[in-house]
Amino acid sequence: MSDDLLPKLFRLGEKALVLDCASLSGSNSKLQIQRQIWHIADLCKTSGDFDDIVPGNNNLTLFFKDSKKISFWSNQINKLWTNKQVQDKPSKLIQIPVQYGGEYGPDLNAVAEYHKLTPREVIAIHTSTQYSVLFLGFQPGFPYLDGLDKQLFTPRLATPRLSIPAGSVGIGGEQTGIYPAQSPGGWQLIGRSALTLFDSSSEHGALLKPGDRVEFVSVRSILDPSISEQPILDQAISDRSNPEKAISKQAKTSHKESSR
Amino acid sequence: MIEVLIPGFHTTVQDLGRTGYRHLGVSVSGALDRQALMLANRLVANPDNAAGLELTAGTLELKFHRDAWFSLTGANYEIKIGSREIWHGWRSKINAGETLILKGPKSGMRAYLAIDGGIDVPISLSSRSTLTAAELGGHQGRALKVGDRIPLGDKLSLSKPIGAVQRGYSNEVRALAGPEMALFTQDSRKVFWSRQWRLSNDSNRMGARLSGEALNLEQEPNLNSHAVMPGTIQVPPSGQPIVLLADGQTTGGYPKIATVIEADLWKLAQTRPGEKLQFIHVSPNQAEDANYEWQQYFYRLQKAIDSCS
Repeated sequence: MSDDLLPKLFRLGEKALVLDCASLSGSNSKLQIQRQIWHIADLCKTSGDFDDIVPGNNNLTLFFKDSKKISFWSNQINKLWTNKQVQDKPSKLIQIPVQYGGEYGPDLNAVAEYHKLTPREVIAIHTSTQYSVLFLGFQPGFPYLDGLDKQLFTPRLATPRLSIPAGSVGIGGEQTGIYPAQSPGGWQLIGRSALTLFDSSSEHGALLKPGDRVEFVSVRSILDPSISEQPILDQAISDRSNPEKAISKQAKTSHKESSR
Repeated sequence: MIEVLIPGFHTTVQDLGRTGYRHLGVSVSGALDRQALMLANRLVANPDNAAGLELTAGTLELKFHRDAWFSLTGANYEIKIGSREIWHGWRSKINAGETLILKGPKSGMRAYLAIDGGIDVPISLSSRSTLTAAELGGHQGRALKVGDRIPLGDKLSLSKPIGAVQRGYSNEVRALAGPEMALFTQDSRKVFWSRQWRLSNDSNRMGARLSGEALNLEQEPNLNSHAVMPGTIQVPPSGQPIVLLADGQTTGGYPKIATVIEADLWKLAQTRPGEKLQFIHVSPNQAEDANYEWQQYFYRLQKAIDSCS
């Protein structure tokens, strides 16, 4: 295998090594590369040589207990990469009930206007995709999701909000996601979920794990997801066009229990 | 148990931090000046990783509900039991019912209070450290407030005061070149290593924000977010560097011009807003030597402590 099909390796400080696959993105999809990264992360976990093993956006960072092991693993990683036998792990599908628009999604109308869509169409597109959790970062349990429809790529707010509530669902550039905790943020907020994404009292901590799949489900009330089969949108969302146009997809989506 | 009469400014429970949870987005957290906490713990015969209090500024008053031995290290605080003055960097005894008053800092920024038996808040995700951004660990996941009652571990049988000399502060912070060093203009690289940087008021446990001549990139890079760590120096579009500290986020996408070596990270914790820092370029071998010096310091310290008791 030629070198340009191998990830780049570089040191990050004294005890960390980054495996960077950015240059491989021409040959494989982001998700395929990420699957291989999860596979390598699993193999590394069994060795006991690492304090932390952190997948990123098409990369993996290994935090060594002992920096003397870095050169051994630099060789090892390349071998593991070329001997790949990545098997698809059974991944969980987790449904995230979201109340779109109104006070919970103050930017929904602006996002719709930006794309010359109706708010209902934005919701329909946002709920019609299965997203993949690429990695967690930024804050405990914050998922970086792959799969936002190009039609919804929306620039971040010019001025980030100083504080946005936990559970806010937003779009920032080419990404969409959910803020697990209250924090500052520059994403366009289109809705909110009442699901707990991070629970420090559990050893697993985070609801979502790399490799999980996520679906957003439109619900009428953030507090009572069970009523999602009733008319989806409340009056807080202005709708300037034909309501039949976008609602069909949502009407048939019923809320299922989160698979956690 | 100790009772908080006056909480000081952002006083938190910290140990040496949590490992093994960065893949969930959970920061390392823990004492910003790890060596100062270790020293305080050694003086009261605690394990290095026992939890103590990290003081940021102001006045802290604690009423003790059991006899205890304590030590205060790091930034130089005025220490009193009632009107009796206590030496900084020494272990001393306080009796049940007495109040410990800590005022400062006279120099430095963060002080560490260790109490024999350690602070016995519940362990969450393998550590007692407070991570306020996630309301995790420490005492209810937050800084101390008036009226808090903080549990202590079982007391140890110690005798006579002992003290230790702390390593001296300098504003020279050794750093390794970062992975994106080459993306900066030649001028900016020179500016980074040759000029002094002022610590800004916005600094906190997440990051030491520096101000000075803005650093520029040759061209705008398109970087994918990957893990970062305490010591990573990121340069956001403003051109003003940020040194990530213990509560810093786990992944980042800004170009990283350098990394502060582990042996010098404590200096960022002890620099006050407005004070200046200078980065010194070192090699990975020099970073290892610097770690070895700390090991030697603690080795000799332990020998001295053992010979006193």
